[in-house]
Amino acid sequence: MIKTTNLTKYYHKNARGILDVSLDIKKGEIFGFIGPNGAGKSTTVRTLLNFIFPTSGSATIQGLDIINDSVEIRKHVGYIPSEINLYGDMTVQDFLDYAGAYHKNDFKVKQKELIKKLELDTSRKISDLSFGNKKKVAIIQALQQEPDLIILDEPTSGLDPLMQNTFFTLIKEEQKRGATIFFSSHILSEVQRICDRVAIIKDGKIIKVEKIDDIMKARAKKVRIKTPDDIKDLTNILEYKRENGHVSFVFTGSIDQLFKILSDLKVEDLTIEEPSLEEIFMHYYDREEK
Amino acid sequence: MKNLIKNEFKLNLRSLILWTVIISGLATLMLFLFPAFKDAFDQIEDLLSIYPQEFLEAFGLGADGLDMTDIYGWFGVEGYLFVMLIGGSYAAILGSSILSKEEDDKTIEFLLSKPISRTKVFFGKVIVVIINLVLVNLVVSIALLIAFSTLGEFNFVVWLLYSFAPLLLQLVFASLALLISIFITKSRQVLSIALGITIGMYVIDLISSLTDSAEFLKYFTPYEYISAIYIVKDQQIKPLYLIISIAVIVISLGTAWRLYKKKDIAV
Repeated sequence: MIKTTNLTKYYHKNARGILDVSLDIKKGEIFGFIGPNGAGKSTTVRTLLNFIFPTSGSATIQGLDIINDSVEIRKHVGYIPSEINLYGDMTVQDFLDYAGAYHKNDFKVKQKELIKKLELDTSRKISDLSFGNKKKVAIIQALQQEPDLIILDEPTSGLDPLMQNTFFTLIKEEQKRGATIFFSSHILSEVQRICDRVAIIKDGKIIKVEKIDDIMKARAKKVRIKTPDDIKDLTNILEYKRENGHVSFVFTGSIDQLFKILSDLKVEDLTIEEPSLEEIFMHYYDREEK
Repeated sequence: MKNLIKNEFKLNLRSLILWTVIISGLATLMLFLFPAFKDAFDQIEDLLSIYPQEFLEAFGLGADGLDMTDIYGWFGVEGYLFVMLIGGSYAAILGSSILSKEEDDKTIEFLLSKPISRTKVFFGKVIVVIINLVLVNLVVSIALLIAFSTLGEFNFVVWLLYSFAPLLLQLVFASLALLISIFITKSRQVLSIALGITIGMYVIDLISSLTDSAEFLKYFTPYEYISAIYIVKDQQIKPLYLIISIAVIVISLGTAWRLYKKKDIAV
């Protein structure tokens, strides 16, 4: 569906871009694109949509060149940007109809269905909407024409947990319909939740492309235990520290193993946290390099 | 492209109405002041005679200038300037904002994700600018038609030139402003540059008619091209000026279009 070959973009003034990004995204999969802010996620997306031109390298979507065939590509792409900026003076309904009119196919049925699912009042002016509601407008305008490829750039920011749920259900349904989804995010848990495969990007370079299950296996947890005891066997344990009656460490083994370790201790209190993406990068890849 | 034009026209409609009311209102006001002043012209001419000839010429008066006892001459001195200056400002504002506003407001991300080429975005917007400017001048032309036919002997050619010569100046300013807005997308900055050109060119026009040594400057200001004196006395726009104007419009738009097609648009 999407194939990029050594896609590179330098910005002027030495701003970070992307370097040699090569990806191969299959039809029908939900492909996660994850990395910290500023890693090059939006640059990649904007290059794919031809908002910006690559410095070198090339890419195709459905076999069509992202520069020369951009208009043809965009007939079949729905895009939800990270920042939602819409025409404030328009009403939601007028805007959605305007957006739909760029596409040949009939979008009204799907539009109504989406409006109902996302519980949006379409008579209001866009400038009067909350951030979350603007996001809904952006979601509807992207999905109403039933695109073959959906490109999402940080789509859940601003949505409350309930709406996030609805959104993920929607995306899953789109996948069932046959759509391919390119999901860019800096939040590992949401990528983990719906993606089949994931590419990790850092400083403009793809570090790794993996099945989400494999990433999960190597997934680290931040553990902090209030206990007088010490842990003897430090397999799968990194950054082991003891202070103020607590031990803390990063655990890279399975949850089952973790429970076995915990069962040998006198546990007075316990917190298990998801490490930040940066921490996962550090621990997971440090370990790989060793 | 029809979809874009329709929507763009709607988004700009309110400002179009406002500017049309201001421009045609001022023109009408000045025209209908004519009967009240007509009788007092003898005194005015005495008063004006104390000014140097060059000064009078700069404002279209004096021996070779316009006859203010005639409605066409009166309008040339007392209303046409508003149409040129305010119309020119509107054109510059419109031209400078029509593309850059999408980038400044970041709505361009939405627009460019839709299946429309940049060429169509560009020319769709240019068409909206042209439609808006034609509409402004059309309304002014109706006001002039009524005024000229009731206050004097109707002269079709002079009426036509007074009505639509400003369109030429407006298109020049709109095209230049649009070209600038490709480089500078911050609305406020591009607006001040565009208005600076509109006012600056007028100052150049004044200087070129006030000082003989700076006469060559007249080729650089579209105010000169469509000056009321040519309209009333020659009843034409000089072909050279017409060619310069069209060349400026075509080159500005052509350059802007080529740049816009290849521009990185990251908001």
